[in-house]
Order: sequence, then structure tokens, then C-alpha cells
Amino acid sequence: MSTASPVKTTAVSAEGVWKAYGTGEAQVVALRDVSVQFASGAFTAIMGPSGSGKSTLMHCLAGLDTTDRGTVHIGDTPVTGLSDKALTKLRRDKIGFIFQQFNLLPTLTAEENITLPAAIAGAKADPDWIKKIIHTLDLTDRLSHKPTELSGGQQQRVACARALASRPEVVFADEPTGNLDTRSGAEVLRFLRTSVDEFGQTIVMVTHDPSAAAYADRVVFLADGQIVEDMTEPTADKVIDKMKHFEELVAAAQEAAA
Amino acid sequence: MLRATLKGMASRKARLVLTSLAVVLGTMFVAAAMVLTATMEKSVSGVIADAFTGVDAVVTSAEDPAAAQGNTPSATLIPADVLDTVRGVDGVDTADGDVSGQVNAIGDDGKLVGAFAPTIGFNWNDQSTGYNEIRDGRGPQADDEVIVSAQFVTDAGLSIGDTVTAYSYSADRADYEIVGVFGLSGDRDSLAGETQMGFTTAEAQRLLTQGENAYMTIYVTGDAATGDIADAIGADYRVQTGEEASEEAAEGFAAVADIMGYIFLGFGLVAVFVSVFLIINTFTIIVAQRQRELALLRAIGAARGQVVGSVLAEAAVIGVIASIAGLGLGVLLGWGLSQLVSSSAMGGLPVELEVPPTSLWALAVGIGVTVLSAIIPAVRASGVPPVAAMREAVNPPKPLRGITIAGLAVTAVGGVLVALGLTDNLGDLGLTGFLTGVGIAFVGITLLTPILSRPLVALLGAVMSWSFSGRLGKLNAGRNPRRTAITASALMIAVALVTGIATIVSSFKETTAELADQNLDSDLIVMGQQGANIPTFAPETLAEIKALPDVSAVGDMYGEFFGAEVDGRQTALLASEDLPTSLGIFSGTVAEGSADLPDDGLAVNESAAADYGVELGDTVPVTFADGTEVPLRVSAILDDALLTDGWWVAPAQIEHFTVPKPMQAYIQVADGADVDAVQDQVDDILADEPEVSVTNNADFVEQQTSQLDILLNSVQILLALAIIIAIIGVVNTLVLSVLERTRELGLLRAIGMTRGQARRMITVESVIICLFGAVLGIAVGIGLGWTVQQALEEEGLTSFALPWDLIVTYLVAAVAVGLLAAIAPAARAAKLNVLNAIAYE
Ligand SMILES: Nc1ncnc2c1ncn2[C@@H]1O[C@H](COP(=O)(O)OP(=O)(O)OP(=O)(O)O)[C@@H](O)[C@H]1O
Ligand SMILES: [Mg+2]
Repeated sequence: MSTASPVKTTAVSAEGVWKAYGTGEAQVVALRDVSVQFASGAFTAIMGPSGSGKSTLMHCLAGLDTTDRGTVHIGDTPVTGLSDKALTKLRRDKIGFIFQQFNLLPTLTAEENITLPAAIAGAKADPDWIKKIIHTLDLTDRLSHKPTELSGGQQQRVACARALASRPEVVFADEPTGNLDTRSGAEVLRFLRTSVDEFGQTIVMVTHDPSAAAYADRVVFLADGQIVEDMTEPTADKVIDKMKHFEELVAAAQEAAA
Repeated sequence: MLRATLKGMASRKARLVLTSLAVVLGTMFVAAAMVLTATMEKSVSGVIADAFTGVDAVVTSAEDPAAAQGNTPSATLIPADVLDTVRGVDGVDTADGDVSGQVNAIGDDGKLVGAFAPTIGFNWNDQSTGYNEIRDGRGPQADDEVIVSAQFVTDAGLSIGDTVTAYSYSADRADYEIVGVFGLSGDRDSLAGETQMGFTTAEAQRLLTQGENAYMTIYVTGDAATGDIADAIGADYRVQTGEEASEEAAEGFAAVADIMGYIFLGFGLVAVFVSVFLIINTFTIIVAQRQRELALLRAIGAARGQVVGSVLAEAAVIGVIASIAGLGLGVLLGWGLSQLVSSSAMGGLPVELEVPPTSLWALAVGIGVTVLSAIIPAVRASGVPPVAAMREAVNPPKPLRGITIAGLAVTAVGGVLVALGLTDNLGDLGLTGFLTGVGIAFVGITLLTPILSRPLVALLGAVMSWSFSGRLGKLNAGRNPRRTAITASALMIAVALVTGIATIVSSFKETTAELADQNLDSDLIVMGQQGANIPTFAPETLAEIKALPDVSAVGDMYGEFFGAEVDGRQTALLASEDLPTSLGIFSGTVAEGSADLPDDGLAVNESAAADYGVELGDTVPVTFADGTEVPLRVSAILDDALLTDGWWVAPAQIEHFTVPKPMQAYIQVADGADVDAVQDQVDDILADEPEVSVTNNADFVEQQTSQLDILLNSVQILLALAIIIAIIGVVNTLVLSVLERTRELGLLRAIGMTRGQARRMITVESVIICLFGAVLGIAVGIGLGWTVQQALEEEGLTSFALPWDLIVTYLVAAVAVGLLAAIAPAARAAKLNVLNAIAYE
């Protein structure tokens, strides 16, 4: 499916990343020695059972959380070891976020929410680009509405538009359709797909839903803090099939770890 | 349920501390007021009881003792033969006559000693040594010797061996050698800041009884029954036991302590009033934040009553703990204030702490206010539908119509009460009506603040939205009009009170300035600071001033303010050596007759003439304070004018005045002459006049209003307390808002907002809330000041002036307060852990 970029560079990469929460008895190792690359212009889904470390991985990749060991790069920029200020600037300029919910500021209109990162940076968003995204997301007549006046699907579309507004190097989405019905979810996923195909956007999306994963170019499976499978050209059926054998995969991973 | 409440409270400590602080401050001041009053009363009565130790009976005139004070010699004297009679009564061991009254002493600097507290002269006798302790030297043995109090030494800059000049209203100057210095028992320098001079009895009588061999009081020791003494001297005199007299004397001081107590109580109540807003606000926000928790409780079967109970229980726990803390701190503060009052105004009176049972009221007030304030939020909490637990909690802003209508109605009621209180329609209850009206109007205006907040916050915010984080701050401030409004209200009330008082003060100043400007056609004024006595100077000095070559005219004024009667009614009498000239300078004009009064002439202004029903040519009986009664003929009717209203007698009658000396002179400098040079010349002439000095018109206005400035400053200092509570309110609201918007902040930080920007956003919100409160408070304060000025226009407060300098200061202060209040909440917002903030619950 991926046809957009002829030259594949790496947008995001993790090298031997470890992350543990707590100490001693209560210690939980969320990520153990994770190494993974995400090609630019590709749409990657991360899947795995609850508690497998998907969100943790995403947070570490996006500079929201620090790693215990290992390094993370966004493009050429090493994320590891950056100051809070530098991380903030990195997030502002190079990363777009879509969360499961609470993506928007209730005091701002849809349009203001879309241009929020630029406003924070004190810069002016590229109007042609914004217009294009808004058009693609079919938000033209919703721009002056406050988030409370929008449906959940519309809110997530506004969040998508915001994530893309500053043309970030990569967009991270943590279960962006988790709170949506099938139709609204499909709309959002279709847009993410379009943005990859047409605009060459790089997207990393955490999801539980095999049919959502099917929109991606590649699916990375996580279990117990480790990557256990890397599937390209996924379909819903292939993913479901893989998930059925998950217990075996996890057992194999644990054996490997031991 | 209670367990759940307590557990919930324990998990919100910061919030509890902030809410409690408001209650603590409110109760603290109420308690301090009561402790101060009781402590001062007890300490003062202790001292007075000391003064009467060993005195078994006290004889005074049966006439009203109040009349014995002041300048007037009176019928209240006890002739020396009465003292002899008392000495002869069975059981009387000793009896000493006491002469005391106000004297004027000239200090080292050539001016009067103790301009604000009087100098008391008395006869030093055996009895004097009872509670006075000689520190140095001895008592006076000759009429030109004097023993002075330690306070006198401090104030006058004179000490043992020096010569001091003193005189009284009725006795000319004499020089005395200071032969001793005494202090009061308990190693104090004075009773209440006064200075004292002890003379021989004969000299004290020359100064204070016009030389009559008489006394004001007789102190008796021995076991004679008061009845026996009374029988011996007759019904013209009153005989009390030492104890009775001591109690009576203490009552006078108690009244002073009471007034002080009431003032503090007033500020305590303002603090409590302001705390109410803070408490309501805090509980409203807490309830809003606990909406899901409460809904969950309701869903699993808690009754509405239980929800109300849970919120009220929380309030009660806060109320009890905070009030007890407030009471404790209040006792400390009251004790501290007593010390301060004692050392600054009571000559270091030893303070005995007294915690009156009434201070428990502070507890009741603190607990009551907290619980009552929580009722509205509690009832609102119980209205949370159980389904809210399942839904996403969205709080759409409630419509403001109801609250606005209620606000208008309450404000109107308050306004009417204020108007009634100011216009004498309520009789004795006028002041109470006025104050209650102000209180009610404040509540009403508070109800109106949410609707006012929309345009005002937008306007104030527009100024701050130059940066994006500023714009977000502005939007946040406008987000919940009720919350913003109630937070700002606390500040509004404090600012409104100071602005109101400042407006009245500046109107007084403006009126005085205009008065001087419009009514005084003079360049220089000779007068003294109004102290214990009315300051005067010698007629010869006046003549000298008149004779100065560069002086073109001098208006002068003599006065008799106590004890004179016209047509049987007590009134003040005025006189001028040259009434036509004086009228010219005082902008007075003659309506009928001639101002060049004959010796039996009388001039009076139109409205007084109408009041007394006299016309030109009528003869009216006039009685002077010295008892002289003469029929005088109205030979001039004056137009009503500010400075010349009253009864004017001819120069020939001045000799009957208690103080036949001019009080004021208004000097017109010749055209082309240098006013400053003339002022210097007059100053030289006045070198030997301790009571008065010469000022130009501008300084005159300044002097006349300096006391008002002191008043204004004290009010500002006391209201700073309300402002502190208001700041806590702003901090509280901001902290709670930051907590409430954790997720939003997390989002903003996740998509690239820097810590500095987050901090700025909160700061702008804070500054807007504070400015909103200040602007509103200034507007309300000006309205309040204007109302009072309008009501007092009849009494002479003719000008209305705004205290611009203070208004600007308050606005700047509001910005400073906003910055200050934002420090902690902004730091909190900046330190926010992005990951936790965006983590789903
Ligand atoms: N702040 C934290 N403190 C302690 N443990 C944590 C924290 N965050 C995550 N964990 C633990 O780390 C592991 C991975 O968590 P993570 O949130 O990454 O899982 P996930 O794959 O996103 O799960 P889900 O699909 O439920 O969102 C879990 O065992 C979790 O309990
Ligand atoms: Mg997750």
C-alpha cells in the first residue's frame, strides 16, 4: 500500500529502550530492550494486550517520558537527554498528538484549536495548508464552534487537523478512535490514511482494534514490554489471526527474556 | 458517610488550609477586638483603682462633674471652709483639697508642650505622693517652683533645674523652676500620654480657680461614714467612697476602650464578611470537582440529605478547627494590640490580659459563617443526578438571569436603606441603617458581578491578550463568570470601602480648599492647632501685625464657645475688633443695618435671625459665660455665608469672654508685596506666641485636613486584612482551577506550551480577576463616597472630589496582588507532570 515516498528515511527510531516504573518488589518493567524504527511517510500501528507497554513506548518516543536506558531519535534529533525546554520545543515543532479524548481546549473554537501549536509558538500557521486539511476533514462549516458544540467524531477530526497543522515530522496517536462509534472511527482512520498517502505524513498509532490496524502499512505487536511481531501490509483478518496466537507469542517472548 | 467525608478532606489538604485561613483571619479579628476591649478596660481600671488606694471618701460638687472640666471656672468649686468642715467630721484622719485643670506650658522649642494631649496642672500635696513617685528632686515649696511628670520632661525637653513658663486661660504667664520629677506608680511616665505639673496649692489656685481659695475635689482618709460627711457639708456636695469614685473614673476610660473595640470589631466583621465569599467559592468549586464522586454516591444509594450532610460536615469540621485557631490567635493579637496601645498612647500602662467570655462569640461566628456559607453549594451538590457519574462531567455555564434580577433587587433594598440612614429618616438608627444598607448593597452588587464580569473581563483581558498565553488566560478568566465574580467580590468589598472613605476624605479636602479659596480674601492665616484648649494669642500681637507696612488689612476673630446664651439658648458668640474689615476678608456681606457695631450692637446672619425670630432693631438678652447679662440690640443682619454665620458682639464686649484674646487672624498682603517676606515678618512677631503660627493658604488647607489623612491611613492599614483574605481567595480559586484544568494544561504542555507560557497564562488570569475586583470596588467606592457627600452637602460638604492618586495606587496594587496571588498556582501549573495530566482516569 505504501507508495508515497520513494526514498525511505527513518522518522523515529528507538535503540535498546528500557523503562521501569517503581522500585524493588513493586517494580514493573514496562519496556525491555525495545528497538524499533518508523520510516517516514509510513503509517504504523502498535498493538498488544492491555499493559503491554504501548502507551509507554509512545510516550518515550514522543519525548513525553524519559527512558531508563537506550536512545530515541526524532529524525536526526536525539530525544534522550534533552532539557524540558528543548523537549517542549521538539514537541511543538516536530510532533503532532492525537489522544483518545480531551484533545481540545474548551475555551477555543475549532479553528483556534487547530492553529493552537502555531499560536503557542508565536508563529502564523500556513493558511493554504490549514485550508487544505480543513477541507479534507470536512470541517469547513464547524470552524467557529466550541468543542462542546461538536460531536465526538468531529472533535477527533479537529484533533487530527491540529496534529497535522504544523506539518510535524511524526504524528503520535494513542487510540484515537477508542471513544468513537464505527462510522466516526472509520472517518478518522481514513483521514489518517489519506494524510500519509497524499501528504507523506508519518503516523504512529496505538490501537486495540484489528480493523483500525488494517489501515496501517505495518503493525508492531508488543507483549510484556517487548516487540514480539512485526507485520507489514496487515489486514483485519491477519491481525485477528495473530492475536489468537498471542499467548504463545508472549510465552515465547518471556522465554527469550529469561 | 462521615468517615467518607473525613477521608475525602484528608486528601485535599491544601484546599482545606486555604479555606481555613479565611475563617481563621475573620475570627481572629473578632476575638482580638473583644480581648483588646476587655484587656484595656481591666488594665485601666486597675490603674485608676491604684490612684484611689488609701482614699476612703471623695467629695465633689453636686453639680454635673463634666462641667468642671474644660476652660470654664464654674460653680463646681469647693470653698476652703468646706475642707475645714470635713476635717472636723468624726473619724476623718486626713482631708486634702485637690486643684487640677489644664495649663499651658511652653517647651524648649517655644511652642506649647503636649499639643494633642493636655498638660494638667495640680496642687502637689501629701496626697499627691500616694500614687506618684518622686524620681528626682522634691515637691514645690515656693510658688515659683514646680515638680513635673517624667512625660513632661520628655515632651518639653526641659528638666530639673530648668525654668519653665506656664499660664492658663485665666492667669498670665509666670516662670517656674523645675525642682523635681515624678513618675506614676508602676514606673510609668504618664497615665495616657498627658504631661503634668505640680504647683503649690496657692499657685495652682491662681492658675486654675482664678485665685479663689477653693478646690475641685477633697480626698479623705479615715473611717468616717460618707453619710456623716455629707450631713456636715450639705446637699451642695456629693460624697462617695473611694471605691465608688474609682469605678466612676474607670467608666470614663472604659468608654474609650469600647470605641477602640468597636472599631476593631467592625474590621473583624468586614473580614468575616469577605471570608464568606471565599468559603462559598471554595465549597462551590470543591463540589463541582467532586460532582462525579457525589453522583456515584447517589447512584449507589446515598440520599440527597446525606450528600448535603457530607458537604456540611466538611464545612463544620473546617469551621471548628479554624475558629479555634482564630480564637487563639485573636487572643494573642488582642494582647499584642493592647501592648501597642498602652505603649503608644497610655504611657506604658501595665497590661493585664483579660479574655472575656464574649470572645467565645468569635467561635460561634466562625463556625456559623463557615457552615452557612457551605449550605448553597451543599444543596447544589445534592442536586447532582446519579447519571452524572456515568456521563462526562460537562458543566454548561448556568444562565445569569435569576442571579442578576436578585442582585438588582437586593442592591435596591441596600440603596434605599443607605439613603434612609443618611437622610435622618431613621432617627437614632440612622448609622445602623446606613451601615446595614451598605452591607446589603454589597451583597446585591456581588450578585450582579457575574453579569458585569462578561464585558469587564473581556475589556480588561483585551489589554492583556498581546501574547497567546495571555489570551488563553483571559479566556479562562471569562470561563466561569460566577467563580470569577465571587473571587473578585472579596477584593471589590475591601477596595470599595477604602475608596469610599478616600473619596469622602478627598471631598472634605476639596471643600476646605474651595472654602479657603472662595471665602477667604486673605494671603496668610494666623491660627493654632486645635488641641485641648482653643489656641489664642495676645491682642497686642494682633496690633503689631496690623501695623506691618506690607499688610493692607487684617480680619480677626474672637470667640466664646461654651456657656454663653442668646435669648436663653446656648450658642457661641463671636467678635472682631473691626467687623467691617473682617467681613470683607471672610466674604461676608451685610443685608440690613451696619456692621460698624455700637457697643450694645449685635450682628447675626439671616437664618439664625429667623431661627431666633429677631429682626433688625430688636433687643435680645445676652448672657456671657462669666455671668454678665446685657441686653443687646440687633444692629446688623448678615447674608448667610460660611465663615460669618453666628452672633457677633461689639469689641467692647470682648472683656466678658472667658478668653479675651483673638483666636485667628487673616492677613491681606498689600498689592505687590512679597507674601513670603510678610510671612517671615509675622513669624518673627509670633516668636513669643506659643499657641499659634502663621501659614499660607495652601498650608492652611493641608493642616486642616491632616487629621483626615491619619484616619484614612489607619483605615487602609486595617482593611489590608480584608485584602489579605481576598488574595487568599484568588490563590484558592486559581489553585482549584489549575487542578480542575489539569488535563487541559497537560494537553497544552504536550503539544508544546513551555513552562513559562503556562505560568504566564495563569498569571494573566489572576491579574484580570484582581483588576476586575479593583475596578468594580473603585466604582462602588466612588458611588458610596458620592452618596455620603450628597447627604452631607447640606452640612457643608459641598464639593465632590475623587482621590485620583489613591485610585491609581489601588489599580497598581491590584496588578501586584494578581501577580503575587498567581505565584503558587502558576508554579503548580508549570511543574505539572505532563504524563500524569494526560493519563486517562
Ligand atoms: N505511571 C506509572 N506508574 C507505574 N506503573 C505504570 C505507570 N504507567 C504505566 N505503568 C505500568 O507499565 C505497564 C505498561 O503500561 P502502558 O500504559 O504502557 O500499557 P498499555 O499497553 O498502553 O495498556 P492499555 O492498552 O491498557 O492502555 C503496565 O503494567 C502499567 O501498569
Ligand atoms: Mg495505553
